[in-house]
Amino acid sequence: MSDKLTVYKCKKCGRVMYPWHDRCLKCKGREFDEIEMPLPATGKLLTYSQLFALPWRFDVRFLTLGIVEFKNGVRAMGQLKTPDVKVGMQVKATWGLVREIRGEKLYGLKFEPA
Amino acid sequence: MRKVAILGAGMIPFGRRDEDTLMDMLAVTGLKAMDDAGIGDRPIDAVYVGNMGAPILEHKTGLASALVDRLCLFPAAAESIENGPASGGSAVKNGFLAVASGYCDLVLVVGAEKMRDTIVWKGTDFVATMTHPLVEYIYGVTLPSMAGMFARLYMEKYGVTEEHLAKIAIKNHNNGLLNPYAHIHMRITLEGILHHPHAKVNNPVIASPLRFYDMCPVSDGAAAVLLGPAEMAKELKKPEIAIAGIGQATDTHALQDRDDPTDLKAVTIASQKAFAMAKLKPKDINVVQVHDAFTILEIAESEHAGFFKKGEGAKALDEGRTEIGGDIPINPDGGLKARGHPVGATGVANVVAITWQLRGEAGDFQVKKAENGFALNFGGFGNNVIATILRREA
Repeated sequence: MSDKLTVYKCKKCGRVMYPWHDRCLKCKGREFDEIEMPLPATGKLLTYSQLFALPWRFDVRFLTLGIVEFKNGVRAMGQLKTPDVKVGMQVKATWGLVREIRGEKLYGLKFEPA
Repeated sequence: MRKVAILGAGMIPFGRRDEDTLMDMLAVTGLKAMDDAGIGDRPIDAVYVGNMGAPILEHKTGLASALVDRLCLFPAAAESIENGPASGGSAVKNGFLAVASGYCDLVLVVGAEKMRDTIVWKGTDFVATMTHPLVEYIYGVTLPSMAGMFARLYMEKYGVTEEHLAKIAIKNHNNGLLNPYAHIHMRITLEGILHHPHAKVNNPVIASPLRFYDMCPVSDGAAAVLLGPAEMAKELKKPEIAIAGIGQATDTHALQDRDDPTDLKAVTIASQKAFAMAKLKPKDINVVQVHDAFTILEIAESEHAGFFKKGEGAKALDEGRTEIGGDIPINPDGGLKARGHPVGATGVANVVAITWQLRGEAGDFQVKKAENGFALNFGGFGNNVIATILRREA
């Protein structure tokens, strides 16, 4: 379990990226500072979709997935803990179990209304 | 660069093809394109196969070499091209470059996919493997849910309604009824999929706000073209259907990395490149095939390609302009929505559909006065897009 999200700030132009890219999406710079973004963190829900046709080995009736923008500009996808959401609402992001593939537990972002 | 023409085109009906293996579909469809061109036993210099799923779904690799073997095309050069759902468009583009450069004369391009042998969740999961492994795939995201997140933003920003999306599905299914190669032959109505109290059952939410009838079907199928130098069309007594322009562009892997996630930049850039190469403008185009894996994409892609201003695609639909008899027919063959979407075949199938239109061979879904046509192949969720413009030479 992790209580932080590692994001990458370009040393040249300051763009913060998540996920990692080898060159900055804005200025093509190659050097980054690793920033530990503490979790829980709050952000704004930009969009979401409630998914009823599930992929591999999700033992739930549906999944609600969304993209959240944090105050530092970082955007990230994650699983919403409740389907009762709307675009623009503030959500709290935590780190938790999101999927299990071939016995391997995968952890990622979980969102709930702030 | 030399001028390149589509000398032959072929397709097999899309749908559930339990009787065929992937190699059967590739071989039969490849022969159709060769026979359509009437090249007899002339040597083919190169073979390009567009396919996305065989290594995962079929546990098969080296498709292009196997196709050369099936068709006895030795010692033709052969390459399989995996470029997500844009594999077919990529295969056509590489075939075009091979002929245009003068390195090859005759090039066979076949796109094929076998998807119906797989159980649904495995198929959905296989398509989702093209999403970002660390920040998308792990959450269980699928292409329908990417489209759902995109649609929610696009509908809000441009006033596209559920009814508009339903109308795309209805139009394309009506068109599909006219196309013997289409996977789905079924008439649907606004009442049945949207307004009736039972519509929620007929047309349940799959990835909100998108419903069942906003999604393309999962299909088996193949499509092929034979490319060669334009002057060979006369020799073969075929109408000269020139590849007048091809453009390709990419965008970020993860949707969240796009400054404006509603902006399909790769569609805009690929289309602009194709138009610049063809020295044509969107208003010169008489028939369009876009990549409507989801209904929202028909509207968004046609706007980004330049056929309408942003936010006006839905209006054009309301006015009937995109129907077969309209001034800018879109997906007259039923599109991915009704024709089906065997992913590696789709990019080639859109080019075949335009070829038939420009030759006047589209049968019941023929549009009038088709001289210039446009085909789009949309890979990833818009992270790799190929636009192709075909022109019928006098």
